[in-house]
Amino acid sequence: MDGINLNALSENATRLGMRIQETIAEHTRDLSLTRGGSSLFDMADDKTKNITKQLESSSDREKLDAMKRLIALISKNRPVSSYFPAVVKNVASPNLELRKLVYIYLLRCAPSEPDLALLSINTFQRDLADPSPLIRAMALRVLSGIRVPTVATIVLMAVRKSAADPSPYVRKAAALAVMKVYKLDQAHHQTLLDIMTTLLRDRSPLSLGTAVLALDTIAPSRLDLLHVHFRRLCRALPDIDAWGQVDVLRVLVRYARTMLPKPVPASERQEEEVDKDLKLLLACAEPLFMNKNPAVVLAVARAFYYLAPPPMLSKIGAPLLRLLSVSREVERVALAYLLVVARSHPALFITSHNRLLVRVDDAEQVKRTKISVLLALCTVDNHQTLLREFVDYAQDTDDSVAGDAIHAIGRIASLVPSSTSQCLTALMGMINSKQDIIVSNAVLVLKSLVQHQLLTPSCNPTTTLATSLSSQQALLTSSIPSLTPSIPTSLSAAHLPFTSSESTSIVQAPLSIIAQLARRIDDIRHPHARACVLWLVGQYGSVPGTGTTVEGVADWAPDVLRKAARSFNTEASIVKLQTLTLAAKLILLAPTHRTLILLAQHVLTLARYDEDWDVRDRARMLRALLVGAVADFMSSNDEEGLGENWNKKEHAGRPGVVLRREQVTRVLFEGKSGTIGEEPVADSRPLGTLSLVMESESLHLHDDDDETVIDLPEWLEQGIDPALRDSDDDAPQAALSSTAQAISSQAISSQHVPTPAGSTPVVLTPAGGSTPKDTKDWRDLNKFYASESESESEDEGEEGVEEGSGIDDDSGEDEETSEDEGDEEDERVAEHDPSPSHEKTVL
Amino acid sequence: MAIDGLIILDPAGRPIIQSSYTTYPAAYPLLHIEALNNALAKAPREGSVDPVIYVGELSCSSACCHVEVGGMRFVATISGDVDPLIAFAFLDAFIEILHDYFGIVSVATLKDNFDIVYQLLEETLDSSGHPLTTSPNALSDIVLSPSLISKLLASVSPATPGVPSARQGGYGAFTSPIPWRKAGVRHNHNEILFDVVEEMRGIVGNNVFGKIESNAKLSGTPDLTLTFTNPNVMTECAFHPCVRLQKWTRDNALSFVPPEGRFVLAEYQYRPPQSALISNVPIPLSLKANMDMGEFGGTFALTLTSRLIKVMENLELIFYLGEDATSAQCTLSSAGSSVGSVGSADGSWAFNSRTKTLRWEILNMRSSGSWILRGSWTSKIKAPRPAHAFQIRFEIPSYSFSSLKVDQLRLSSETYKMYKGVRMRSKGSIEWRW
Repeated sequence: MDGINLNALSENATRLGMRIQETIAEHTRDLSLTRGGSSLFDMADDKTKNITKQLESSSDREKLDAMKRLIALISKNRPVSSYFPAVVKNVASPNLELRKLVYIYLLRCAPSEPDLALLSINTFQRDLADPSPLIRAMALRVLSGIRVPTVATIVLMAVRKSAADPSPYVRKAAALAVMKVYKLDQAHHQTLLDIMTTLLRDRSPLSLGTAVLALDTIAPSRLDLLHVHFRRLCRALPDIDAWGQVDVLRVLVRYARTMLPKPVPASERQEEEVDKDLKLLLACAEPLFMNKNPAVVLAVARAFYYLAPPPMLSKIGAPLLRLLSVSREVERVALAYLLVVARSHPALFITSHNRLLVRVDDAEQVKRTKISVLLALCTVDNHQTLLREFVDYAQDTDDSVAGDAIHAIGRIASLVPSSTSQCLTALMGMINSKQDIIVSNAVLVLKSLVQHQLLTPSCNPTTTLATSLSSQQALLTSSIPSLTPSIPTSLSAAHLPFTSSESTSIVQAPLSIIAQLARRIDDIRHPHARACVLWLVGQYGSVPGTGTTVEGVADWAPDVLRKAARSFNTEASIVKLQTLTLAAKLILLAPTHRTLILLAQHVLTLARYDEDWDVRDRARMLRALLVGAVADFMSSNDEEGLGENWNKKEHAGRPGVVLRREQVTRVLFEGKSGTIGEEPVADSRPLGTLSLVMESESLHLHDDDDETVIDLPEWLEQGIDPALRDSDDDAPQAALSSTAQAISSQAISSQHVPTPAGSTPVVLTPAGGSTPKDTKDWRDLNKFYASESESESEDEGEEGVEEGSGIDDDSGEDEETSEDEGDEEDERVAEHDPSPSHEKTVL
Repeated sequence: MAIDGLIILDPAGRPIIQSSYTTYPAAYPLLHIEALNNALAKAPREGSVDPVIYVGELSCSSACCHVEVGGMRFVATISGDVDPLIAFAFLDAFIEILHDYFGIVSVATLKDNFDIVYQLLEETLDSSGHPLTTSPNALSDIVLSPSLISKLLASVSPATPGVPSARQGGYGAFTSPIPWRKAGVRHNHNEILFDVVEEMRGIVGNNVFGKIESNAKLSGTPDLTLTFTNPNVMTECAFHPCVRLQKWTRDNALSFVPPEGRFVLAEYQYRPPQSALISNVPIPLSLKANMDMGEFGGTFALTLTSRLIKVMENLELIFYLGEDATSAQCTLSSAGSSVGSVGSADGSWAFNSRTKTLRWEILNMRSSGSWILRGSWTSKIKAPRPAHAFQIRFEIPSYSFSSLKVDQLRLSSETYKMYKGVRMRSKGSIEWRW
């Protein structure tokens, strides 16, 4: 202990000394207490001339200063490659601080100055044998960062050497370098795969994660290489660092989907059937739900979502909810995933819907996603609460959120039919709001609800709806007389159309909503909403029988046309179009009513001189339609010279197109299928992807579907032979891992004997003892090769059997093709230089 | 297919530090910075910018994930169909590391220490886009921190004999067998402190989230076991990698070898013992709000009452008055307060015309009495649209909602005595609808 203590002390002393030296020099120059970084950072450009001189000076301090200046220049995006020769001279500097800065410079500039970087390659090669793992790893990282195909062989040698390095940190760098070499030159694919087999056998959880990632990058189709490692990877999962856990889980999910049999859910006839390797994977992954890193939690949730048999899915609910409280940013992303899960398995979150309520200070995107999630969780039991929430959100200061909330109310009405009356009451209440946005959205939703009800009266318990609305109706009917005097025609002799007996009939209830909307037309200012109301009034304004003032037309309809006609010139085009349609429909319903015809003619005339093409065209079309249907229309037209001329001309040209009234009714009123509230689309994007998070804008991402297939393949009918996953590891694993596990964070158990201070009982990796490990590895390698060839022969055997029996052609073929592809790829790579077709896998 | 790089922007949206984008088109970082700045400029109010911004200009689809710290924006750019959570987890880890190194993360400290930031960046993010070493303990061996002490020493005793600068540092790196703990740590005074911080969050008060922060200064390789008298109040836990999860699931005890320095040992959610629902922890205060909306503005009268015997500190009520709010006028008073004179309420209010929010602050809220804020505001539009809820934040020192209690902390594998300390603190951030 004393020895270590002394070492540490002397090390600290040297470091301190170093730091002191630096600072003194700095202070003498700057005479300030700061590190002077800021002044270096913001220095004027003319000072850069000295850098070369400084780099060539003999003082480390000067050189350090120069390097800092260079890095400051880099961060300001200035060109720095001209200093390359001067910098490279310092690459072998004994001063570690300086060397690190040089490495940083080289990591940035080597790719753009490959020829100059070649000059320093010897140094890097020497550094690969440096006693410090830090230097070895850095040298390898710089070496693999020089992107010149000609040095690929040298780098390859370096990677091969480092792959057997005693320090797991260097081995990790080697795995990363494998990816970079592959990107640089795919011709070395086979050699790299050989290196990978070494790296995959790594015992240290520190580098194992990166090794799996590297394999996934250079040969995503070679999942077969993982057979023998699968179980070990599962067991090592808790000890790998968080980033590695994410990568390994992703690869293992893919492995499980391609190699393991799909779990068979429990049914009446048979028990639940889950492969024991899949069970192992899930059992080892489950504790990771307790990881602090949100990416890991999601990766585990993803594994359960895509692999676990249904009963185990319940485990992902709570961890996903926990992610929401991590931070605003994580909440935003996690919500997008949660929405997908909630849509497919709402039961997981129903009891905790109060953690998904919208907060006033949430970002717009978060609010909208929360509303979608809540909607997905809507059931008969909780719809009351949710409805109250949505009514509250309708007051939101953000228009789109308010709109979403109001549409959500409409969805509740169609999801839970018994709630329809409450939803309608809420929506009708909103019609009275002072906020335009609320009114217009409420109208839009009401329109689709009403239409839906009218179209499918049988499937809705409209009786409850009708009774619930009777109070509103009373209010409505009593107020109608007050409106009618304003109509300057005989309409004022109002007759109350609704009696209680009538209101229970199927069609009346929605009609009363329309009536109420019609009454409020003045307050509905949003063009879209106004147009909606006008259309509704026209479409459903017909009343059978003779009870109304104007025969065949509901009492509330004509006044709407009058108001719309009065404000016609100031309306938006969409409202004008609907006003025209309304006018046409009304005179079709009451072809003899003088006032209505006058109103219609007034509107049509105004439309004739409208700015908008569409409005003029619509007027022209309607006029032509109505010519034959409404007798008085023609005659009254006589009063207007222009109209007459126009009509006559039209008539003269095409006398044959005059339609009868019944035909025109058909044209104008029928075939208007209602828009039923759109169902949320089933999501095909997998969890844990950017395209899912960016759903609304991810047009570009949606193109490359093949990537998804690679990442998340469909289950195969039958898994491969589990014997392939047997490895020598399994037996000695228990004994061996007593070292590996005792140390590991997760498994220090009571068997761990407290040892006296001094010896380090906790050994995660055999850092010092490289020699015994190496020999063991070599022994293992032979065994590994043996087992691999064995597995291959087994594969062949299997195929043979399948050919004979003809069962499970699918799985057999799939596997065959995937195998073939793998082989083919190898051959191609071996035959000729990198072809562009490989780029997809590289990227 | 990973994290392409990291950019740090100053409050004006200019890059201070950025990782190398050597394998990407030259316009790559600029496009992302521009996309972010545009989005920030367009945002109607603070915090409403989508934290993930899609950038579709380049052939490969990419996005920037950004977090705000100390006025700066930390941006991680990702390409391909990567999980943005990885980017956010990385940003979080990187910012934590900066905190560890510099104490405060600000434009000034980053500019002062830019060389160290670059070294850290290089060590934490490989050019292949995968995070490397993010454990602060392991990093401290690789990248020296600008410790203030060494500076002070330097100015006091300038005559340290010139130590040969070769072969120093770096050799301690990666010798530790435990990734999150430095090897060979020595302290004269061994101590470990725990801060239990609980925060109530939710709408009209419900969920309580707790966090056990720890600061360890222990020599050697201490193996600790922390037990609680009432561990069942903790649910949905998340732990630092050092905690042995199996032991927790088995015995509800936290067994771990701590890293040196500050770290968050555990996070949990409070589960009230008797109730079936997690989310009905009573709120320690009540608010009565009388709102009256008129044309071009409105009036309000808010009455706050504490329901707690303890003193609440730094109580803050925030009310968003809507995009078109122009001004606000308020009067403060307090009533029924037994301590202190009536009328001289120790509170203050302010209207921020940029964020359009009214902020009411009470530094010390005693257990009895009530605080009243009356006032009115004006708006440019006829029907004003204020937020439909108040946000209330408060702190309660030496208090915990869950009354989580540490039973004992045992040290094995080392023989020295250590000082142990536990502190409780509670916060609240709730929303009150009217």
